[in-house]
Amino acid sequence: MTGLDVAFAAAGTVAAASAVLSVTTRHVVHAALWLVVSLGAVAGCYLVLGAEFVALVQVLIYVGAVVVLVLFALMLTRAPIGPNEEVSASPLHRALAAVLAAGVTALLAAVLVPLARVVGAVRRGGPGTTGLGEQLFGTWVWPFEALSVLLLAALVAALAVAGMARGRGAGEP
Amino acid sequence: MSPAVEVLVRTVAVLAAFLVLPLLVGQTEHKVMAHMQGRLGPMYAGGFHGWAQLVADGVKFAQKEDVTPAAADRPVFRLAPAVGLVPYLVALAAVPLSPGLVGADAPASAVLVLAATAVGILGTLMAGWASANKYSLLGAMRAAAQLLSYELPLVLAVASVCLAAGSLSLTAIAGAWSPWWLLWQLPGAFVFLVAAVAELQRPPFDMPVADSELVFGAYTEYTGLRFAFFLLAEYAGIVLMSLLFAVLYLGGWKGPLSGDLGWLWTLLKGFVVSVLVIWMRVAWPRLREDQLQRLAWLGLVPLALLQLALTGVWVVATA
Amino acid sequence: MTEAAKGSRAAGIPGLVRGLAATARTLARPTHTSEYPDAPPSLPPRSRGVIALLAENCTSCMLCARECPDWCIYIDSHKETVPATTPGGRDRQRNVLDRFAIDFSLCMYCGICVEVCPFDALFWSPEFEYAELDIRELLHERDRLGQWMATVPPPPALDERSADPAEVSALGKPARAPRAPRQAAAEEGQA
Ligand code: SF4
Ligand code: SF4
Repeated sequence: MTGLDVAFAAAGTVAAASAVLSVTTRHVVHAALWLVVSLGAVAGCYLVLGAEFVALVQVLIYVGAVVVLVLFALMLTRAPIGPNEEVSASPLHRALAAVLAAGVTALLAAVLVPLARVVGAVRRGGPGTTGLGEQLFGTWVWPFEALSVLLLAALVAALAVAGMARGRGAGEP
Repeated sequence: MSPAVEVLVRTVAVLAAFLVLPLLVGQTEHKVMAHMQGRLGPMYAGGFHGWAQLVADGVKFAQKEDVTPAAADRPVFRLAPAVGLVPYLVALAAVPLSPGLVGADAPASAVLVLAATAVGILGTLMAGWASANKYSLLGAMRAAAQLLSYELPLVLAVASVCLAAGSLSLTAIAGAWSPWWLLWQLPGAFVFLVAAVAELQRPPFDMPVADSELVFGAYTEYTGLRFAFFLLAEYAGIVLMSLLFAVLYLGGWKGPLSGDLGWLWTLLKGFVVSVLVIWMRVAWPRLREDQLQRLAWLGLVPLALLQLALTGVWVVATA
Repeated sequence: MTEAAKGSRAAGIPGLVRGLAATARTLARPTHTSEYPDAPPSLPPRSRGVIALLAENCTSCMLCARECPDWCIYIDSHKETVPATTPGGRDRQRNVLDRFAIDFSLCMYCGICVEVCPFDALFWSPEFEYAELDIRELLHERDRLGQWMATVPPPPALDERSADPAEVSALGKPARAPRAPRQAAAEEGQA
């Protein structure tokens, strides 16, 4: 076990544990805050693996923007202090979610665990920022562009939906 | 020097800068603001022109009772000041004063600084929500709305500089700087300055802590040291943004005698920028919430995109 | 956007520049602050700081105590008989002041007592630094009130075009017609 192994394991454990807490807690805002911890720990994993840029973008986008947006939406609607029973799911939902999660975990494990055996101990490395850029805008440029078009379409659609709702609201007497 | 000792020395140096520079900016604000309003400002603490006023304030804050409201969400409430403060410490460590003088030389330090400041917002949000006070909550919501809108132009402006320098490292960006950037990156610099002041929630963008409407926004319920931490975070934010502006747009350590005194140039330029930030506070009234959003989305974002396009075209054309 | 908002936008940039210029100009000028405990304040004439008592003039007539709106002047006196100075003359009675105190925790500085005193025994002094830690100390007894006399400034000169003081204008008036002799009046009364 190298130091990197330990660091990776620690970051991974924190990520997994806070993810579990984020799903099980009854406090809506706490769930969002646990999500912050989880995403941060994932960024830590990237960092241990030497993908510094990815880690920083993870923090910048997910912690700095996405979770802030989630928190903002929560506060704007309803975020009481203390446990909130309304948000808990029914037993059926829980069972289904557990099965689904177990299935995804099994799938990922089946793919990744053999890989881990090949790679062995955790190594720093990876392409670095320059390499990442070259990969992204070289090999992967079409998926990248397709994704951005998808996001753009979603954005326009969201705008259209909001506009429609407002139009209806104005049309009502 | 063994690595452990070096890490220790660097940490202590960054910590010292983190504690001293905000005090300097704070004292400058006291004095500059006072004289801009025809007053003298603090005159007694410490003897000479009240230089120790902020130290005295710190002692006062340390003596005060640390109150947590009964209805508050205790753990979140108590954690919030740390979440608000630590990111600025991390970010300050990555800002270079001269090519060799930097707390932690990260390869992608520009992104690191932006990411760290983005995390700092969470502290305000947590504070506002956990205080169980409607003014705090309103303040936090305004803060969230404002920071989300100004984050984008800020990142775009920095991206333009990174593109121009061809690097994500602040040291390399300042190294690639030439006086010609002052003109070429002017729109970007303007966007950065405005967005940075807005990120710091400083007047004229202090809607989230508008005292006449929200008492003190998200920090209303805080007392004692925790409150002092939020204040320190604000002034550390000014230091950070000013230094960042100096490094990104003013060439950092470039100037006469920059061989040995480069760090002084960076500090000096940063100081000038922070005086500008203070000046804006004194001279201009607060923006309304809708004006804030309008300025961000209709003014700064298009301008930043324009700058980005301009930089891109130039870089490709000269490559 | 409304028309008004457009107008304010047009006025925006020059307004911002003017704001910066105004603050910069103020920064360059000397400040207006006078550092009070170190530099004495310049008070206007007739400042009302504290009331001084010239006990020699006071006849214990009690006018001030009765006119004071919050009854914060305390006067004790007794009568003394002054033996006649000339043989066969009448003994006279005189008021002697035992106590004269003003409670400045109640006083509202209306100045009625100073105005009403017919014998010029009360004066305004501009001294104002007599705050106390205990409110009871604000009851100034006769000695303390007397000490304030030293700080009473000479009366300021009259304004340039003000009316003459009563004494001066009295001089210019024609003399009154002499009174009818007492004898005649007494006789008339008898008739
Ligand atoms: S100033 Fe007014 S209130 Fe004060 S003692 Fe004289 S009459 Fe009374
Ligand atoms: S009105 Fe004047 S003379 Fe009469 S009691 Fe008061 S101070 Fe004395």
